[in-house]
Amino acid sequence: MHEMSLMGGVFEVIEKTISQYKVSRVLQVRLKVGELTNAEPDALQMVFEAFCKDTICEGAELIVERVPVRGRCRNCQLEFTVPTMFFLCPKCQNTSIEVIQGEELLLESLEVE
Amino acid sequence: MDSNRREIEVMANLLSSNDRQAEVNRAHFRKHNCLAINVIGSPGAGKTSLLEKTLPLLLMEIHIGVIEGDIFTSKDADRIAVHEVPVIQINTGGGCHLDSKMVSKVLPEFNWQATDLMIIENVGNLVCPADFDLGEAFKVIVLSIVEGDDKPAKYPVIFRNAKAVVLNKMDLETFTDVNMENMKQDILAINPDIQIFEVSCRNGKGLQAWVSWLTEEVKSYRESKV
Repeated sequence: MHEMSLMGGVFEVIEKTISQYKVSRVLQVRLKVGELTNAEPDALQMVFEAFCKDTICEGAELIVERVPVRGRCRNCQLEFTVPTMFFLCPKCQNTSIEVIQGEELLLESLEVE
Repeated sequence: MDSNRREIEVMANLLSSNDRQAEVNRAHFRKHNCLAINVIGSPGAGKTSLLEKTLPLLLMEIHIGVIEGDIFTSKDADRIAVHEVPVIQINTGGGCHLDSKMVSKVLPEFNWQATDLMIIENVGNLVCPADFDLGEAFKVIVLSIVEGDDKPAKYPVIFRNAKAVVLNKMDLETFTDVNMENMKQDILAINPDIQIFEVSCRNGKGLQAWVSWLTEEVKSYRESKV
């Protein structure tokens, strides 16, 4: 359950962000979570609610967007989606693939009032 | 009321505080010319057994320190201390992984003039530790073959991010249905650059190749000092 630690990171970012704006309530939190991470959306939802209790975020909605893994072939430069975590260029069969997307653990945006 | 409703774009990394401290740790290891490795594997895969077998073979040439991560006990650190290696136990108190701050807190406990290799044994878990950079030079996975040949494909994140995998308990191969070819094929499909070692900590087979490789890694790290 390292989603607890990740949620600690979410709330660090939220606190830092709202300290720079006039915010009475946080209504929505949007995360971007790459598929090449081990963050589990359902577990994030569960700990989010626990973290929100008695804070400015109480009642807020958490939206977790999963980001598919994309790679770039180091041989032919083709960019492609890596559906099964097997890193093989569909064009030239090269196995040296640079990951260009899918490792994100980001707080994308907040909706506030 | 709705007029007040607005969106704030943030785009901040959730791991930024861990990653910042990890970079500080990495700079510390670099400054003291010490190769740090993060050893990750399921409970019972044989992480501590691998260290127990590796230490006597390495100690002739290399000064080693060990950080043992565990949820509650100091059982693993006690096993390492027998080898007269400086070892510090970190108890996460329920936490499923080590993070860079926990590691940073224990760094002052070591003699950095006499540490060429720092082995950090993470909490037994193939999932959570993968997301937390500790400042290590690279990650090493310990997977026992009896866990099943499907495990690399089921836990791709850690296999993608490791430099080496030690497949332990090879002495049990004949007692299981594990298909070693499938297992190795999957590992290389996820990470074609990974080093694979097949060992048995129980009978010692295969350990020498692993130890030689690790010794070379320590040497090349120390020679690459900038």
